[in-house]
Amino acid sequence: MEFTKFLNSSFKLNIILIISFSISVNSFILFPNINNAFYILFHLTLIYLIFYHYHYYLYVVALIYGILFDILLLNNIGAHLITFLSLLILFILLRKYLIRLSSYQIIFIYFITLIILLLIEQFLANVLHNYKINMSSFFNFLLISLIIFIPTVFLFTKLDK
Amino acid sequence: MYLPLIKIKMAPKFQIKVFQISSFLKNFTIISIVSLSFLLIFFSKSDLYILNGIKNISTSVIIPITRFISAPVNVFSNFVDEYKQFRSLKFENKILQEEIIRLKKWQTLAIQNSRENKVLKKLLNATDNNLTLVKTASLINRNDTIYTKLINLNAGYEDKIKKNMSAINERGLVGKVIDTTSNNSRVILLTDPNLAISVKTISDGIFSMLTGNGDGKYLVSSFVKENKMPRLGDIVVTSGTAQIFPVDLLVGKVAKVEKNRFFVLPFVDFTNIDYVQIVNSN
Repeated sequence: MEFTKFLNSSFKLNIILIISFSISVNSFILFPNINNAFYILFHLTLIYLIFYHYHYYLYVVALIYGILFDILLLNNIGAHLITFLSLLILFILLRKYLIRLSSYQIIFIYFITLIILLLIEQFLANVLHNYKINMSSFFNFLLISLIIFIPTVFLFTKLDK
Repeated sequence: MYLPLIKIKMAPKFQIKVFQISSFLKNFTIISIVSLSFLLIFFSKSDLYILNGIKNISTSVIIPITRFISAPVNVFSNFVDEYKQFRSLKFENKILQEEIIRLKKWQTLAIQNSRENKVLKKLLNATDNNLTLVKTASLINRNDTIYTKLINLNAGYEDKIKKNMSAINERGLVGKVIDTTSNNSRVILLTDPNLAISVKTISDGIFSMLTGNGDGKYLVSSFVKENKMPRLGDIVVTSGTAQIFPVDLLVGKVAKVEKNRFFVLPFVDFTNIDYVQIVNSN
């Protein structure tokens, strides 16, 4: 029973992951912020999956999405792949400390992780492939993150019951 | 659900624990994935067959799937676009009628100029355009993101498209081909901050380098030869000095001049690209 419950919510989260990935890699000229919002939603979903539904298959998920994001958005493999895999490895190392935290502290760390992830991706794109760091776009991401964070967490907790 | 430990039975007192199969497999998978990732990153800029295969699959298989999944958003976006167009129909009609009258006057002038041009070319024994059309391709999708501004086209190296070829449309220079697969190619747009083009002004021949401003609208000068600033409204074309873009392709118009830099408004409407021509310099 527990396993089917786990499978159910994990499956739903993976569906959200696929949808948000698909929308974030197809640009809509009239609504550029839709892409940004779904790009952030993808990151939020991945972090949530790692924090609350950690499983070894997530390494494969991180590998596939990392490569696809890198090729489709940057045309070079690197930034996303390194970030996603590093997040997974860091989670394993810090898991024993995270378990001790309260739910509010976890939510705070969840948000901070998102921001750090977005920053590291830009930084790695700059270091590895010489892409310019666009701070105005980053602040746009930050604003969208602030708007969609609480509704997303609410949605995920509802999905998890 | 761990499998029992494998034990090698030797003498009754010596039992050696070898490993747990399941945890070994998990660790092995993780290590392989991490190693594979680093190999991919390490060789990502080389032209390895496997990397080209991954890129090919990404553009020819994954993009159609993602387009299918994101179709509802696309439909909504198109609906809003059409509604906006419908609302401004009357106003646009009035503007277009005025433009038709203006263009008719220009047409008469252009025909006269064209005749004169032909006669003068004959007198000077000049050669014609230096461009060769490789392929006209349509846009599959665009990746207009925080990192890059790219478009994907439905023609690749099977259509003789190669890296570094120029993409143009009826208004001027669109961008440069940065990657090709068998049936797809990717074009980096002029508005991308990571693309630099060498240009000159038609009136004064002032040479400079332009890059995308990051806002997706303007191009900004990153280098101006001898710090000579162009005038407002000057037309900017490719200089051909970097030998990447053919010479004299229309780029844009100087829209703003500051102390050490100037801004150019491209002729191409980057929000409305359906077809591009891939051209090569003779």
